[in-house]
Amino acid sequence: MRRLLYVVLGLAVAVVLWEGYKAVGNPDGTVLFGVRILPRADDLSMPHLWNVLERLGRPELTGGRPVWIVVLQACLFTLGITAAGFVIGALVGLLLAVAMERFRIVERGLLPYVILSQTVPLVALAPLVAGWGGTIMPSWATVSVIAAYLAFFPVAVGMLRGLQSPSAAGVELMRSYAAGWWRTLVKLRFPASLPYLFPALRLAGAAAVVGAVVGEISTGTRGGIGRLIIEYSREATSDPAKVYTAMLGAALLGLVVAGLVSLLELPLMRHRRHVEVVTL
Amino acid sequence: MSAVVVSSVTKTFNPGRPDEVVALSDVDLTVGDGEFVSLIGPSGCGKSTLLRLIADLIAPTTGTVTVAGKPAGVARKEQAYGIAFQQSGLFEWRTVLRNVELPLELRGLAKAERKAKAEEMLALVGLEEFAGHYPAQLSGGMQQRVAIARALAVQPPLLLMDEPFGALDEMTRERLQSELLAICAKTGTSTVFVTHSISEAVFLSDRVVVMSARPGRITASIPVGLPTRDEAARQSEHYFESVTAVRQALRGTPLKSAS
Repeated sequence: MRRLLYVVLGLAVAVVLWEGYKAVGNPDGTVLFGVRILPRADDLSMPHLWNVLERLGRPELTGGRPVWIVVLQACLFTLGITAAGFVIGALVGLLLAVAMERFRIVERGLLPYVILSQTVPLVALAPLVAGWGGTIMPSWATVSVIAAYLAFFPVAVGMLRGLQSPSAAGVELMRSYAAGWWRTLVKLRFPASLPYLFPALRLAGAAAVVGAVVGEISTGTRGGIGRLIIEYSREATSDPAKVYTAMLGAALLGLVVAGLVSLLELPLMRHRRHVEVVTL
Repeated sequence: MSAVVVSSVTKTFNPGRPDEVVALSDVDLTVGDGEFVSLIGPSGCGKSTLLRLIADLIAPTTGTVTVAGKPAGVARKEQAYGIAFQQSGLFEWRTVLRNVELPLELRGLAKAERKAKAEEMLALVGLEEFAGHYPAQLSGGMQQRVAIARALAVQPPLLLMDEPFGALDEMTRERLQSELLAICAKTGTSTVFVTHSISEAVFLSDRVVVMSARPGRITASIPVGLPTRDEAARQSEHYFESVTAVRQALRGTPLKSAS
């Protein structure tokens, strides 16, 4: 209940900031020494929020479906791509982390490339992956690959730290029980890594959304919210509220993904609830 | 048969490198069946290393270690010993009961059987009411008791303890010492106990093995064997004589036999 209140409060603050700046800001933006440090506040750059909401209800094109349905459908399409990318990325990240934990040499050899992988600009990579679309996989799947490419990284790095987190005493204990590598992984390393895994998954969720949106744009895949943002932004001069409806959809998508990921950890983190220490 | 036989063991860490350390040099030690032996010495004397060698957590550079007549490696694979460290090392995601069940689980016992056994062990350390708690909910002394229950769960003939009470306050420590003695007497377990407290070593042990550092070696073996192990024993003449004997051995001054 209180949580809901904070969410509403946060929204209200955002609305006040937006409309407040619009009321007091210079319509042409504030320029200092030739650099625009504050954005334009005119209706073309920052439409009133009620205009955006009202635009959601009107048809996309004359006689077409209302914008909110189009945006929602695009979000669902992108959600599917994001989910596929997230699952693939998380699995790849997990496998890499386990391999790196198991073999020191793999960690030394692979970790630099794992980090390097994230410095390659996505837009340079996208056309390469897009070429697979329609031949070895449907074109939406190429976008999932791009999302997975971003999502695997936090999981691989976070999970590696988690797998390496058990104390020496814990590892020695497992050895004293004559437990091999696999049983030590299952009974000790994996459960110990959960507090590292979940924040990593949340990052991966956000990365998958970004990957899906950017991937849609750079591979030219139709049907998703990324594509919709590009399409609507072409009409920004005549219909400025329209592009913001698509951005609203993208933000909503991010929130939904973050919410779904945090749902994952509820049943697994029960024991880490706040508890009182018994002193006897 | 002896519970533990360590013969001419040497342990060198990082051999052949600039940071080479001779942790143990030519150590012989025999622990009889049902005997309680303490290893005492200044830090860096290799007492924990010796315990880890017996547990086969590390391998000796030269020499042999036998546990219950078998090479240490075989004994470890048969879970022929239970071990407890200074940090309780409980798994925080498992309840107290499931922590004690862990070694039984790895032995492949059926669920009902290991639950019954774990409950029995918790009763032994007086924590049966806390079976459903998580370790974070317990005080340090209680966690250490759970760790001891876990070490005893497979009912091993040998118990290895590395300063298990080192992080506890004096009151808790003395209570747990009495509990440990009662458990060892009841189960007939042989024990190797690493400590740096003279009074703890003397009170608990049949024999105190004194070690010195650089290189780690055994310098004296002092039989204690207090007739009783109660509060009166902590005040007895015999107790103070043994404390003095161990202290002198630690300082390296010559001594006459204490017993």
